[in-house]
Amino acid sequence: MAGSASTGESSRETRTVAIDAEVLAGKRFPYQEDMSLVEDIDLLAATPGQDINWLEDITLLEEDGVPAVFDRYSNSFLKIYFDIPEGREDEIARKVLIRHLTDGNSYGITLKDIHCKFPQVELGPWVEDSRIVGTEWKQPVLEGWTAPAGH
Amino acid sequence: MPGSGSRSGVSYDARGLVEPHAEMPDNIEVDGHRGRFDAADLTIRQINMALRKLIYNDGVTDVTVLNPSSKHSLAVGILKRCRIHFEGSPGWFACGLIDGPEVTINGRVGWSVAENMMSGVVTIERSAGSLTGAAIRGGDLIVKGDVGARTGIDQKGGTIIVTGDVGINTGFMMQRGRQIICGNAGMNLGDSMYDGAIYVGGKVRSLGVDCVPGEWTDADTELIERKFRIHGLGDPPELQKFVCGKQLHNYDALEPSERKLVIH
Repeated sequence: MAGSASTGESSRETRTVAIDAEVLAGKRFPYQEDMSLVEDIDLLAATPGQDINWLEDITLLEEDGVPAVFDRYSNSFLKIYFDIPEGREDEIARKVLIRHLTDGNSYGITLKDIHCKFPQVELGPWVEDSRIVGTEWKQPVLEGWTAPAGH
Repeated sequence: MPGSGSRSGVSYDARGLVEPHAEMPDNIEVDGHRGRFDAADLTIRQINMALRKLIYNDGVTDVTVLNPSSKHSLAVGILKRCRIHFEGSPGWFACGLIDGPEVTINGRVGWSVAENMMSGVVTIERSAGSLTGAAIRGGDLIVKGDVGARTGIDQKGGTIIVTGDVGINTGFMMQRGRQIICGNAGMNLGDSMYDGAIYVGGKVRSLGVDCVPGEWTDADTELIERKFRIHGLGDPPELQKFVCGKQLHNYDALEPSERKLVIH
């Protein structure tokens, strides 16, 4: 995201290229800083099929010099601030992402409740008893507008 | 907005979608977590309504659809973990945009099966048409037969396994993920691919632009043996690996120049 921040009297702007999950959510999440909060996640149970399925393509990446995992549901990077043990990079990245999704913190999930037009499970396939959203969608009405004759 | 557009005798809902026959079918059988219905005399919308009702509202986790009769766009947009069985052949765009379901199709499918699948497993017991697995982002798609042209076009993740032959332009503009082709591949394999890997057991008619033989690693062996094992496909054939030569599209070459436009 080409976000910008003012630096006092200077008009100099700091811009970044990436879309950051923290910026979208307006806060940092505890599991970004504490590995113990993701250790117990069962990746096999969290994914369809007999292996880790779609998580096969999720690997630990780096954004702004910080280890990060890409959340495809919000097109954003979720940074990881704790030390990741050597040899467990991808596993930890996947666990952080699954925690982010199952907790409903992905920005894409936030948008579902507001904008989705069709009934669908809010938390996707990650949470068994997720509520259904999109059942109350109503066509927006533009005040003062009338349909042209013949339509 | 029911009734809008009714001059033609067709009604539309508030989203502007046509409602040719939107009554919930009355032939749905539910037994605990299992559901089943015959789709022979149902419209596409009725079939999808029944699937959504069973999976989203009734807590059914295992649905069997009898006689899909080559109808198009069945089981599209299901975003929940469940099992769906088709006894017969769906038409085009079956199982598109799914995220979570494990689907078996005891028949063949038309174009674009599992297009844009996010996660899940789709297993087709016979052959599939062109554009199989177009733009899939994750999950496993298994075709126990031959497929048409442009398999996995624009693929962004996931694994496509074809036990038979594939047509021309397989893996066109592939960006990530894997394709395992046990049979022969048509012309222009992997044309303009950005990334990912294509494994071919048979003959390759010709390679596309920037598709080159790749180096085999232990990770390739592990992945292929695991996928064949969990999907009950027996022993994998001897395969040759193809990857992107990184001469045409190369993220590392493009990204710094893009960043220069933004960071100042």
